[in-house]
Amino acid sequence: MTATSDTAPGSARAPGPSVADTLRSDSIAPPPPLLEQSYQFLGDTEIPFSRYTDAAFFQSEMEKLWPKSWQWACREEHIPDVGDHYVYDIGKWSVIVVRAEDDVIRAFLNVCTHRGTRILSTEGVGYSQSLTCPFHGWSWDLEGQLKQLPGRWDFPHVSDTSHGLDEVSCERWGGFVFINIDPQAAPLHSYLDCLPDHFKHFPLEQRRVKLHVEKILPCNWKAAQEAFMEAYHNVETHNSPNGANAQYDIFGKYVSRFIHTIGSYSPESLADYAGDRWRRPPLTETEQLQALGVTDAAAAEKAEQHTARAVAAALYREQLSAEMGVDLSGCSDSLMLDSIEYHLFPNMFFFPGISIPMCYRFRPNGMDPDTCIFDLLLLQPIAEGAEHPEPPEPIKLSIDQSYTEAQALSWLAPVYDEDTGNLQMQQQGFKTSIRGGVTLGNYQESRIRRVHLTLDEFLDTPATEA
Amino acid sequence: MSDRNYIVVAKTEALPAKSSLRVELKGHDILLCHIEAGIFAVTNTCSHAEALLHEGKLKGYKILCPLHGAAFDVRDGAALTRPATKPLCSYPVKVVDGDILIALPEAG
Repeated sequence: MTATSDTAPGSARAPGPSVADTLRSDSIAPPPPLLEQSYQFLGDTEIPFSRYTDAAFFQSEMEKLWPKSWQWACREEHIPDVGDHYVYDIGKWSVIVVRAEDDVIRAFLNVCTHRGTRILSTEGVGYSQSLTCPFHGWSWDLEGQLKQLPGRWDFPHVSDTSHGLDEVSCERWGGFVFINIDPQAAPLHSYLDCLPDHFKHFPLEQRRVKLHVEKILPCNWKAAQEAFMEAYHNVETHNSPNGANAQYDIFGKYVSRFIHTIGSYSPESLADYAGDRWRRPPLTETEQLQALGVTDAAAAEKAEQHTARAVAAALYREQLSAEMGVDLSGCSDSLMLDSIEYHLFPNMFFFPGISIPMCYRFRPNGMDPDTCIFDLLLLQPIAEGAEHPEPPEPIKLSIDQSYTEAQALSWLAPVYDEDTGNLQMQQQGFKTSIRGGVTLGNYQESRIRRVHLTLDEFLDTPATEA
Repeated sequence: MSDRNYIVVAKTEALPAKSSLRVELKGHDILLCHIEAGIFAVTNTCSHAEALLHEGKLKGYKILCPLHGAAFDVRDGAALTRPATKPLCSYPVKVVDGDILIALPEAG
């Protein structure tokens, strides 16, 4: 695999071994979905900067995207008991997700059907056996039916059904509760593309929320998520050689993926990057193992005989099985180690990996196009049949705080500071460039273009593509 | 300042972690809450519509009212969400040799 300049646009790849080459030579083979490849060239025109900065564009998203697209609101274990609820805010919209019966979850607009007051004021978990407006005390049962109307004599034109709460679409997948504000939305499964098939191999239902950090970022929600959709930035932003040969897949309108390997890299893929650090000479297997924090001599010797990946994966299997009480003995090297990231339109990321077990969500911050909310969750596997513990409350970080203030993030904190450190400068640059828009790589940044093309369909705007 | 007059209201074994327990002391209806930060005591009656909080739910450091869902911080009784706006009465708590003791406010 050394092609560098094939004629068909999007067909060129980084020189040197590919991710698929690495996965095929692993000590424990990956499940079949990780060997699938699905790329399509989607065009190479610019993405206008105005999509990230323009108030009218933001408003259009608020009217045509967010109330029409599926998005997860909470995990099922946030609301385990009847009467538990979760308030989820998205821009100007707010939805109450309620456990109405043991196995029935409903979702309602968080708006009183009397005079429009927001019923519950605070995002997150709560509990009550009825939902009551704090203004005049109108109250609904967990099915959304109006149950108490103080001074009913004055409202002959109101019935329990005419003024029930406005119910929105609500379905579940992978332990997440999804809502779609459109009551007529097409079913969630028609939207998930390959996710149900792929995640059969690494079920997210069997995970717990180990950590949730919610931070305000100084840029548009799309710019923020796009910083996490490619590994092309790894060398410059993270000073790391992994990622220059990452694999990118487009599975449909709504789902895309990247896989970038950990514990191995391709020196050839860095041929035209500045500096020789990882090329002359390339890192040895022992050095790659050290880069993963494994420094003992026996492991180092093994790495030279096998590979850093094989040794690190074996070590992680042992350590994490004990730590989490889960049998990982047959878990592939790739799931143990790699950064495998599925994106679900418009703003959700799910990682099936074991040591990189993230879940991201990027939301507008109220009605401000220039800031957004980044939810970062760690979803740790739990044993089959084990009860889900109560999820921790989110650690909230302001726009000026560092991820290092969320100590539980440990070594990941500086990495997220590096990732998010570029964003304010990018949002500033969007507004002062005299070029038309963002230029994207045909392969490495194809997922970003996929999101914009699907966004066009929602917004009914002229396509960004020629 | 003299020591307050603490009175035994329950045994610690009756109040496992992450649970609450309703107790009565000299006409005061009190809710004991065992959270990560320790044992705390607040009045058992919601400051909004006087529902009984022991019928609600303890989540982390919050007690959630069963009637309208108002949240209170059990560590100091503060009202955290609408519709409640007034705090719950909070009582000093001590644990001595497996006994939970509460001090009532000074009379007058």
